[in-house]
Amino acid sequence: MASLSEMYDVGWEEMRDKLRKWREDNCRNSEQIVDVGEELISEHSSKLGDDIWIIYEQVMIAALDCSRDDLALTCLQELRKQFPDSHRVKRLTGMRLEALERYDDANKHYDAILQEDPTNTAARKRKISILRAQGKSTEAIRELNEYLEQFVGDQEAWHELSELYINEHDYGKAAFCLEELMMTNPHNHLYCEQYAEVKYTQGGMENLELARKYFAQALRLNNRNMRALFGLYMSASHIAASPKVSAKVKKDNIKYAAWAAAQINRAYKMAGRGNKDNKCSIKAVEEMLESMQIAMP
Amino acid sequence: MIDMHIQLTSQAYCKMLLHTAKYPHCAVNGLLVAEKTKEKKKDGHGGPVLCVDCVPLFHGTLALAPMLEVALTLIDSWCKENNYVIVGYYQANEQTQDSRPNQVAQKVAARISENFNEAVIVMVDSSRLTMSCFEPIIFIYDHVENKWKNREVTTDAFEDWNEAQTITSALLVGRSYENLIDFDNHLDDLRNDWTNPAINKSVLDLC
Repeated sequence: MASLSEMYDVGWEEMRDKLRKWREDNCRNSEQIVDVGEELISEHSSKLGDDIWIIYEQVMIAALDCSRDDLALTCLQELRKQFPDSHRVKRLTGMRLEALERYDDANKHYDAILQEDPTNTAARKRKISILRAQGKSTEAIRELNEYLEQFVGDQEAWHELSELYINEHDYGKAAFCLEELMMTNPHNHLYCEQYAEVKYTQGGMENLELARKYFAQALRLNNRNMRALFGLYMSASHIAASPKVSAKVKKDNIKYAAWAAAQINRAYKMAGRGNKDNKCSIKAVEEMLESMQIAMP
Repeated sequence: MIDMHIQLTSQAYCKMLLHTAKYPHCAVNGLLVAEKTKEKKKDGHGGPVLCVDCVPLFHGTLALAPMLEVALTLIDSWCKENNYVIVGYYQANEQTQDSRPNQVAQKVAARISENFNEAVIVMVDSSRLTMSCFEPIIFIYDHVENKWKNREVTTDAFEDWNEAQTITSALLVGRSYENLIDFDNHLDDLRNDWTNPAINKSVLDLC
């Protein structure tokens, strides 16, 4: 079987750089990481220098995702040899137990870490992940709330909590989590857009108007965010169509919706350039926008 | 007694499973479409409703409304263009041990039922997902007396089970799911085509 480097004509440096990019972007493309990482480790380990340790960690976690326990164990053993007392490596041992669904053993393992180091956030978060994996959402939410009282700046945790609340249809609390994230990350268009989606889902005129405002804000931060553009169109259209709004509000929202519709059409035309097959998408969008058009009073 | 006899084509079944396989750590969902028949037989003994295709929608968080509304409206337009009608909804849960239709599934199915009386929910049992696809891994739910009831799934639920099995297995082994586009992918980059013409062609080539 041909190696990746032969098939795609890439050198080991490119493979190493790809892995770094995936680490930085926090991608969960585990099969690709395993393919690239396994080859890098087996053929080029001597060239990687100190990078090899973080690569072992990355590949190990990806291997667990792909049920490649053989590869995961290999990476883990190398890390254990190099860093015998490390809590970071102990966390990886725990994750392997989780992957094998040995949750009781994994919990005992994390408890041992916390005994030695009560401030170890990684171990606490793994325990919460186990609750989620077991479908114990109420407990996971409770533990995560307690965690956040202590570690109020942990953005990953706020985002995880917002997801858990959304899955439980507790949109009010999900919105609160996203508000925390927006406060600390005012330039992040994704948080704005997600907050708007939650508000829209909550429903009611006030929430719809808030949704529209935050979709607009997300667009200001990133004018290519299609979800924000569609969201702006949908919320403005719904507001304009409501019998309860004043004539001025109706007129304003028709303007916003019309603007958004034009932008959406433009975005689809640009995407469809040079691709005949995409014509169907453009037509479908035009029709959709037409079907939702609100008549001017 | 079965309310509506539905059958899945290989293309519909395989794209559902590819979507599930692409995001093993997430919940996924999508819509099932059938060709619009000219008249509905009054005595209810028309042929089975053939789900010719599915449209993969989202992965991860399924419980938010705005993008779902966009998708439903857009796909509705597309259906009208192609003489299709949305006849069902599929979902694979995040928890592999739980394959019951949740609130999201029931809400979307209710919405679909406004246009098509006998809409079904198809739940994918990801705990039984294998490369060989030796058995059908779906549950089909009908809306009976205000509840969603599970019906027995046999190879009768497929236009051609052997073909569906062979094709799905081949595409899973070949990792075609890496190229499967759902509506989320489309929103990330409009050039991503949620009708999945490339995969449809692979299916056709394997028939």
